[in-house]
Amino acid sequence: MPGRLDRRLLAEVRGARRGLAIAVATGLGAAVCIVVQAGLLARIVDRALLHHAAVAAVTPELVGLGAAFVVRALLQLVGEIASQKSATTITSELRHELLDEAFRLGPAWLAGERTGELSLTATRGINALNTYFGRYLPQATVALITPVGILAWLAAVDWPSALILLGLLLVIPPVIAAFTKRARQEAARRWRSLASLSARMLELLQGLPTLRAFGRQEHGRREVAEATESLRRGTMRTLRVSFLSALSLDLLAGLGTGLVAMVLGLRLLHGDVSLSLAMAVLLVSPEVFAPLRRASAEYHASAEGKVAAERVLDVLAQSRRQATAPHERPTARWSLPRSGANPTLATPRTTGTAPELSRSTIELVEVGVRFAGGVRALSGVNLVIAPKEHVLVRGRSGTGKSTLLSVLLGFVTITSGRARIGGVDLGTLDAAGWRELRRQMAWVSPRPYVFRGTLEDNLRMGNPELGEAAIERVLQRCGLCRVVSRLPEGLATPVGEGGAALSTGERQLVALARALLTDAPLLLLDEPLAHLDEETAATVDANLASALDGRTVLWAGHHVPTRRHFDQVLDLPTSPAAADPTTHGHRAPPPLSRTGSLRSS
Amino acid sequence: MNANVINANARTRRTNLEVLRTLVAISPPPWRRLIGAMLLGLAAAGTTVGLLAGSGALIDRAALRPGLATIAGLLAVVEVLAVLRAPLRYAERLHTHEAAFGALGHWRLWLYDRLEPLLPGALGAWRSGDLLHRAIDDIEALTDLYSRAPGTVGVAVAVSALSVVAVGSLLPLGAAILGAALAVAVVGSPLLAITGRTRVDERALAGQLTAEVVELVQGAPELLAFGLDETFRARAEATAERLARLERRRTRAMAAASALVVVCLGVAVVGTLAAAVSAAREHRLEGIMIAVLPLTAIGAFEAVAPLGTLAIRILDVLDAGRRLLALNEVPAPVSDPSNPVALHDSVPTPPEGVAVAFDDATLRYRLDRPPALDAVSFAVPPGSATAILGQTGAGKSSIVNALLRFWPLEKGSVTVNATSLEQMRQADARRVFALLDQDARLFAGTIRQNVALGRPEATAAEIAEALRAAQLDEWVRSLPNGLETPVGESGNQVSSGQRRRIALARALLVRRPVLLLDEPTTNLDDETADALIDTVLAAALGRTVVLVTHRSEDLRCMDQILTLDRGRVVATSHR
Repeated sequence: MPGRLDRRLLAEVRGARRGLAIAVATGLGAAVCIVVQAGLLARIVDRALLHHAAVAAVTPELVGLGAAFVVRALLQLVGEIASQKSATTITSELRHELLDEAFRLGPAWLAGERTGELSLTATRGINALNTYFGRYLPQATVALITPVGILAWLAAVDWPSALILLGLLLVIPPVIAAFTKRARQEAARRWRSLASLSARMLELLQGLPTLRAFGRQEHGRREVAEATESLRRGTMRTLRVSFLSALSLDLLAGLGTGLVAMVLGLRLLHGDVSLSLAMAVLLVSPEVFAPLRRASAEYHASAEGKVAAERVLDVLAQSRRQATAPHERPTARWSLPRSGANPTLATPRTTGTAPELSRSTIELVEVGVRFAGGVRALSGVNLVIAPKEHVLVRGRSGTGKSTLLSVLLGFVTITSGRARIGGVDLGTLDAAGWRELRRQMAWVSPRPYVFRGTLEDNLRMGNPELGEAAIERVLQRCGLCRVVSRLPEGLATPVGEGGAALSTGERQLVALARALLTDAPLLLLDEPLAHLDEETAATVDANLASALDGRTVLWAGHHVPTRRHFDQVLDLPTSPAAADPTTHGHRAPPPLSRTGSLRSS
Repeated sequence: MNANVINANARTRRTNLEVLRTLVAISPPPWRRLIGAMLLGLAAAGTTVGLLAGSGALIDRAALRPGLATIAGLLAVVEVLAVLRAPLRYAERLHTHEAAFGALGHWRLWLYDRLEPLLPGALGAWRSGDLLHRAIDDIEALTDLYSRAPGTVGVAVAVSALSVVAVGSLLPLGAAILGAALAVAVVGSPLLAITGRTRVDERALAGQLTAEVVELVQGAPELLAFGLDETFRARAEATAERLARLERRRTRAMAAASALVVVCLGVAVVGTLAAAVSAAREHRLEGIMIAVLPLTAIGAFEAVAPLGTLAIRILDVLDAGRRLLALNEVPAPVSDPSNPVALHDSVPTPPEGVAVAFDDATLRYRLDRPPALDAVSFAVPPGSATAILGQTGAGKSSIVNALLRFWPLEKGSVTVNATSLEQMRQADARRVFALLDQDARLFAGTIRQNVALGRPEATAAEIAEALRAAQLDEWVRSLPNGLETPVGESGNQVSSGQRRRIALARALLVRRPVLLLDEPTTNLDDETADALIDTVLAAALGRTVVLVTHRSEDLRCMDQILTLDRGRVVATSHR
């Protein structure tokens, strides 16, 4: 009885059908073995008991019986290995798609998610699907076929027993239906508890110093206690449903076997049935229920995987929606309202060819960004940036400077206006196009992330083939030398998570050096000097001139050294949320501009 | 610079028994419950054997047509056993699991209590994703210690022994065959199953995968911008693939173990049957018992079948236990004094300014590196404002770490109203300071929840006051949901400047005698920053202020300005 989710999951199976088919075939083979075993066992007992046969007389049957066991063992072995192999193939593929999709949806989407929850889904949740594909699916198929087969055989050889078992079997579907619905609900609830425990736990692990500073570590402890208690309750509820369903199936199976044995006994008394047949029927009758019991157990065991799968498929479904309407990426909290989208944006064509940034003009016309909930992050921005121009984006805190840079990085989609680079509408770029475009950009994030690895690994991120000399030069330029000299192993010091802790200022220097070490023609600098002391900032700034020369620069920030000159200044209005202002980039007056670098406009 | 590197993956060689003993000592299993569960399990397994043997006997006897009365007793036994088995098994499973999941909660709190004194600083080489994996999955792996492990082994051994004895009373040769087959299964299947384990620490690898996914998610913007997303994703997927390979190997071994059990069962059935047939012919065995022997074997093997899986699970428990106990070996950098000075002895409540003094304070994170603070001495008079300047890495964050007792002093002292912080309980020492941390770390939740983090009982008016002082009131008013606007995980849905000011409001809201503000004006425009310093100093209202800053404009209203360089105070100026 596959549900909607099962069908969606089955659609993912494609590449692994062979493994599943082998698993089902071996499962059915094993069932046949069990029937053969029962028949042979019964025949031997019959001949020995009623005909006083010697061992030699039943040797063929004994050999056959032994062979049936060996064949069954081998079939089980092969089936298990094949199904597990295909299951891990499917789950690897699903994990790949999930990560792919998460990155296609990008930072704006990720910002609305919980890291601990996402990582739980991508690791354990998807792993739990191995049980679904590797065990439940083949077992469920076997459970659909085996009872019918055995009943058919029974009906042919001993209809009264078949009738008893059929009667009990008919009770099973409603019982299973009742339990599976409950099981689904409970499993979903339990997964929510687990996900929130995971999300909370990660946040506590990363934020414990702050909690301790405020003397609130007990608060964190209480949260762990509550989350884990709610998980315990949820787990017990799911288990109770699973155990109850096993109980009812066990009861039916026990009742069936008992009834069949009783009736057979009575019929034997009257000589209505032969011993060998009675014995065979008795041995086979539990096998009518056993596959169902196993399938039900696997159903409950794989419930967690299914809930996680639902989450994965929901994420994946976003891209399918996106494929039909590329500009209406629905995201968790930053989702863009469909109605507010500008009709000019609705170009269905996408392209993988990005413009050459070193020769392209960036054109923003009446650009606006509005997040779900009506929060306007940017509105009416007009800016034309010629290649190699340096532009200062100014504005008070929260006026959308970072959002503007995010638009150019493709992290945020605009909701009104037009954004073009070299005549190519940014909305028409597909993933490959963005990759190509971003390859030509370097970015200093306002909150730089330092990756696990050595300091050198981090510096080479944008340009792995750099020579020592180039790194040395940029280190000088960025004032990183001091930092490096303090680190125990210099450039080879492990940094990032699990390495030496860097202060915010040091992280910023790393990010700046990392950006300058690329040969990207467009630099997006988001408050690059914010965390630096004045002396360091001045040194860095003085050294930046040659590094920025010949590149297009967008510098966002309020902390702008006085010596720096810009071709254009864009002043973002204080509160884009309040009115609907229009902002134009204005050419800097000649005294402010660098001599010789002010291009005619 | 908390470069206290401890190798997270260095596994201390503890023997399995030591691990088990420590695990049990930290959170003992509810023995009575487990014994009860084992008895229930035994009864359930007994009914399985009894049902099969009984119905075999029933049919054999009936086939000789002895009349209804002779088989009535057997009939009743078979029916009772058939109906009894299911509820017994249900009761057993419920019983064991109730016990286990209670224990997991205990373990999570144990883990939290271990971690709490180690952050920040002491867990140098550990990754948060790996710790997360310990907190969720490794702890969950302990379930088997509390639920199935003891019972299943007990039941398997007991049922095997009883079956052999029962068969032995009928036919000694049959008992020998059954006993031998069971022995091979009981010993062989766990041994075969554990060949699926490799020397690779699977749990450490799974922890690494979680850490890599966490890095992917949190570093996504940079990865995309540098076009490295595919490289990093491929790395995580390769780890996942290695894990999948290990899991397949495991599955193969476990499948081989269950195949072995089926083959042993075959040997037992065929062997006992052949023995029974020849014994019956020689009248050493009643004819009706022929079927009882192989059927008893089938019943007994049902109890033995889970042993292979169980062996793997037990080793899993030990691996997971090792990973958890590893946290026991990380020394906490700071511990509470044995005779602490009470907070109110040295610090007034309600708060007014207190004097803070560094006297020859030296702080060092690693013995092989120069000190981060080198004989630092300065005094901050009660109610005064002191600014600390210095280049990146000059030791400003170490001042904060010393004040909050996140890291111990190697030499010298830090005092509050002439009482050394080392004489106070850590929690008390921290209660002196209201901190704006350098990272301005926020938690997923609303603006209100974040501002009120340190004082959840704060009134709406107090929160509004703190927001006003942090120059946030206008922005919050402009938001459709106001204070109830979510800030996102670690505040990533608000701008850097807003995040910093929310963290500042959070510090202003707690009523503590010293405001310790690390870069309050970073990420702010000059206009906002100037106004902010004024309102913050006004809100300080006689409290002592220590300000770490880069902006020279912030120094206008300071009573004292200290400049740090390489861990030393190189300049002091008073207004």
